[in-house]
Amino acid sequence: MSACYALNPADLPALLTVWRRNAVVYHPRKTNENTPRLAAYEPLMPVDLDYGNLAMPPVDILNGYQDVLFHWKGNERTYETRPGAEDGRPTILFGIRPCDVAALSYLDEFYLGEYADLNYSRRREALSVVAVNCTTPGERCFCAATHTGPFARGDFDLLLTPDGDVCWVECATGKGEALVERGATFFRPVPAADLKARLLMLEERCRAAFPPLPDMSDARNVLLRGFHHPIWDELTPACIACTGCTAVCPTCTCFQFHEERFSAESGRRVRVKDSCQAPGFTRNAGGHNPRSKAGAVRHRIMDKLVYIEDRFGKKGCVGCGRCIDVCPADIDIREIVSRIAADAPADEAAPPVFISERTPRRADPQLYTPQPARIVSISDETPDIRRYVVRYTDEHLAETFRLSGQFFMVTVFGVGEVALSIPFGDQHGGEFEFCVKKVGKVTSALAALRPGDVIGLRGPYGKGFPYRSFTGRDVLIVGSGVGLAPVRTIIVRLLQERERYGRIAIIASATSYEGIVYKDDLRRWAGEPGVEVRYALARPTDAVNAHVGYINDLLPELGFDWGSSRAILCASPRRIKLVSKDLLGLGMRPADIYTSLETHMRCGVGKCGHCKVGSHYMCLDGPVFTYEEMLQLPEEF
Amino acid sequence: MTNPFDDLERSDCLLVVGSNATVAHPMVGMRLLRRKRAGGFLIVADPRRTTLAEQADIHLRLRPGTDVPLFNGLMRIIHDNGWHNREFIETRTENFPALLDAIAPWTPEATEAATGVPRDLLFRAAEAYAVSAASSIVYCLGVTQHRCGVNNVRVLADLAMLCGQIGRPGTGVNPLRGQNNVQGSCDMGGLPDYYPGYQKADDPAVREAFARAWGCPQPSTPGLTSLEMMEALHKGTLKAMIILGENPVVSDPDANHVRQALSKAEFLLCIDIFPTPTTELAHLTLPGASFAESEGTFTNSERRVQRVRQALPPLAGRSNSRVIQELSTRMGYPMPPDSPAAVFDEICALTPLLRGMSHERLDRESLCWPCPDKNHPGAPMLHADRFTRGKGLFAGLAHVPPAELPDAEYPLLLNTGMGHSQYLTGTMTRRCPMLEREMPHLEVDMHPDDARALGLRNGARARLSSRRGAVAARVHITDAVPAGTVFAPLHFAEAPVNLLTSAERDPVSKTPEFKICAVRVEKV
Repeated sequence: MSACYALNPADLPALLTVWRRNAVVYHPRKTNENTPRLAAYEPLMPVDLDYGNLAMPPVDILNGYQDVLFHWKGNERTYETRPGAEDGRPTILFGIRPCDVAALSYLDEFYLGEYADLNYSRRREALSVVAVNCTTPGERCFCAATHTGPFARGDFDLLLTPDGDVCWVECATGKGEALVERGATFFRPVPAADLKARLLMLEERCRAAFPPLPDMSDARNVLLRGFHHPIWDELTPACIACTGCTAVCPTCTCFQFHEERFSAESGRRVRVKDSCQAPGFTRNAGGHNPRSKAGAVRHRIMDKLVYIEDRFGKKGCVGCGRCIDVCPADIDIREIVSRIAADAPADEAAPPVFISERTPRRADPQLYTPQPARIVSISDETPDIRRYVVRYTDEHLAETFRLSGQFFMVTVFGVGEVALSIPFGDQHGGEFEFCVKKVGKVTSALAALRPGDVIGLRGPYGKGFPYRSFTGRDVLIVGSGVGLAPVRTIIVRLLQERERYGRIAIIASATSYEGIVYKDDLRRWAGEPGVEVRYALARPTDAVNAHVGYINDLLPELGFDWGSSRAILCASPRRIKLVSKDLLGLGMRPADIYTSLETHMRCGVGKCGHCKVGSHYMCLDGPVFTYEEMLQLPEEF
Repeated sequence: MTNPFDDLERSDCLLVVGSNATVAHPMVGMRLLRRKRAGGFLIVADPRRTTLAEQADIHLRLRPGTDVPLFNGLMRIIHDNGWHNREFIETRTENFPALLDAIAPWTPEATEAATGVPRDLLFRAAEAYAVSAASSIVYCLGVTQHRCGVNNVRVLADLAMLCGQIGRPGTGVNPLRGQNNVQGSCDMGGLPDYYPGYQKADDPAVREAFARAWGCPQPSTPGLTSLEMMEALHKGTLKAMIILGENPVVSDPDANHVRQALSKAEFLLCIDIFPTPTTELAHLTLPGASFAESEGTFTNSERRVQRVRQALPPLAGRSNSRVIQELSTRMGYPMPPDSPAAVFDEICALTPLLRGMSHERLDRESLCWPCPDKNHPGAPMLHADRFTRGKGLFAGLAHVPPAELPDAEYPLLLNTGMGHSQYLTGTMTRRCPMLEREMPHLEVDMHPDDARALGLRNGARARLSSRRGAVAARVHITDAVPAGTVFAPLHFAEAPVNLLTSAERDPVSKTPEFKICAVRVEKV
């Protein structure tokens, strides 16, 4: 601790009144129903530091009900966009508890790391945190078990500790010093050394007052062992998906995009809080939901105690107990850990989980703002798949653009956004092509557009196939239906440097030949030396020489040097597994099989939470994974 | 409700009838589930396997429309086994012989045959309800929205009286109200045959009191129910209508008929917070004020009158009460722009049930009526020592089958109700992005056997039609509905299920039979 002070609690109203001159000060205030909530401080209101805990987490004040991501105006020929993030007003969060301070520390890591969230960072910069240590634990508090309280250990600007008729103050940052300076008359410096023993004693006294604490020390491994424990199915029927737990959680960040239209020619995209407990959270446009109801309950608990820690190195559960308070089904994160720990033998090792490196921090001022791009042409690829050629309206963007990702987020203004993989790359002079199948609202709106119309592009995002590492190897590429689209770029690249690779086999599969995309390309590729193109169809055709049956049937006759081959599989997760199984049988290694798992990506930058599977964001860490990695993911894609 | 919400957690046995509480009344559903987990015995009577039914100790999966046979059957088992409360029957009730006559035909065999509920479940449920120290009945629209809705409620009252499970903590007959203030609306005389506080409109003394207070003569006959008003518009005997905060084009049965009726009005004025299919028919629409812009009181299911305070001034400029006062004044009956507190004082002065209340008192505490004087603490529990009419009157009821049952032409039974993420006609919830994402279109629950017979896959598009109309829907295959029954929520103006429902209604309450009509489902 850098500087310590003593404060007379009776002076707090006067102090807050002084601070209020240059900032909005939020302080805990009890409502008519005796519920403590953060409220804007008005001069000389009483200040109560013995308020239990806030009913709602401070992140609500920080993020608000909704957040404007970008504004757009114009019509389908002229759209323009501008980012929605605004400078934050100077704000002081006064009196928040150590659990919420720990939560804020995770939120900083989450929002400001990888793709830095502009909206959050502007507000966060303007925020000062005056925390208050807990001297009496609440009924359902367990911060002492998650090591996030009852006393704060960092990430505050000022920290108060009430102690009878004195309030001790620790100052940790420049922001804290500025606050002390502005209220200088109220702060009496005290030697840090004198204070240390007193604070330790107060903390011990509070610890001793806790209700019996769960053992959370090994929660990560306990939960990983208990992934298939019957408790999840037992808890689930009572869950009414009210989403209360995620609404009150201080570390919940998931959001949904919402299009607001002001007129025919103007609107904006906002984000509103979302919940992984709502069945629609992971349901895709076709109505399929890869995560079951029990899976959703499990995902929340695992996220808080396993996935967040694996990725961010910080606990996702700070022991505030709010989710236990609000749950109508009495789902209790403490009891879940205790029960699984009791049932699963401690010496049993947790199953292996693959943890990917976090992507390096990137500041992108355009993060949520699509760049207008014009549709150059539209053609029918199959009866239900269309090919769109687009070009940025700002030519400058095309010049600086480098194809480094795997997919774009494509916006139809006023309607919404959808993730589309990039079948063609930058070698086409700033033109990109997308293949789109009409399944939902956005793809239907795309289908109504004409050449010359403007859409919005964000990206490219995600990690692509590491095809350059395939040098000297035989390469198998399997694309089922529209699944050929994400690998088209790879095929083109492989063929451009044909001499680098061994034999290349492409298997295109669909129900009928009409459902095959890139028919002309496939025929052309088949003519290249050392390239074999096969078709696996459910219905016979006269158009090409096709196998009527499964992809798997074609594998043995390819005669690859399987032990050193590489494979790329783009199909349904089920088909990927079936094909992989056979490839392993032929001698391939699971780390040499690549797949693309494009699971309900919404924001593309690892923030909205929809594509999170285990500790992975499909949009950041994927969508390309090896089969070995895929097997270590929870089966929720 | 005869008993307060808190009492649900004091019941040893909860009998939940026709209520999908975890979806439609989640705060009550939560208490029911808590009580169950804490050791309470839960019986659910519902044709559908709801979340509550899944959690129940006993699920009485009765055939739709067989409530009276079911409860008569339970009462006969209770009486035959001597589990009834003789003392209560003797001291607190009358007309017991009529009950005995009514239940006599409902042997366990006959009840099983009529309701489809196995006998052993009937016995176990009857015993649990009758012999538990405190048993509570909770019911909802699954009971009332039948042509025999009043009978269905009365048979539950008979059951409670037979076992003396009323007038004590943890007992009672407890209907769940569908809106925050539907109880308050009824209390205020939003019923054609009552003045505020359930004072009968056909009582000359009551009429006289209101005539004196309001300085104008009062009509000598009761008014019309909302469905009767629609009929009157059709016939031309009613010329004009004001609709405040309702969307009958979507919420009333036989929607085509309603639309025609409203189109015949010479003048239709709507007051609402958002445009609806009903406001589209209006000659004039005035902007309404939401709950957050309103000042006054709301009364919840347990008759608890609570203050609601204006959180923001009305965005449209006027509160609903100001609009009414101004309309009345311009229509020739001057209403001064009194404050909500003054209006409430007038209500209390004219309403014995509420006489002891005032805004000033409600600012400090919420009160359950009846609250006859300033010092009265209110009455969270009714009928402790005596019933309102003195002795409890056994009804003794006969079975009235539903008006329209499936037949060769329309082979499936349609049950309607609420979905998880939308509320009523969706005027408010369909504007919430999260809720709309959860339930963006009409989905019809259908049993796997029926789906197979019709060749429908999960998510398939289908046409749902009855003798009155047709809607487009997607099929959701689930065995939560019994074979032969489909369930559809009413929220979607673009696929209004009430195009299909029948306007058949209860002769007393005039509540329509929303829960049962015959439909056909076709693949499209």
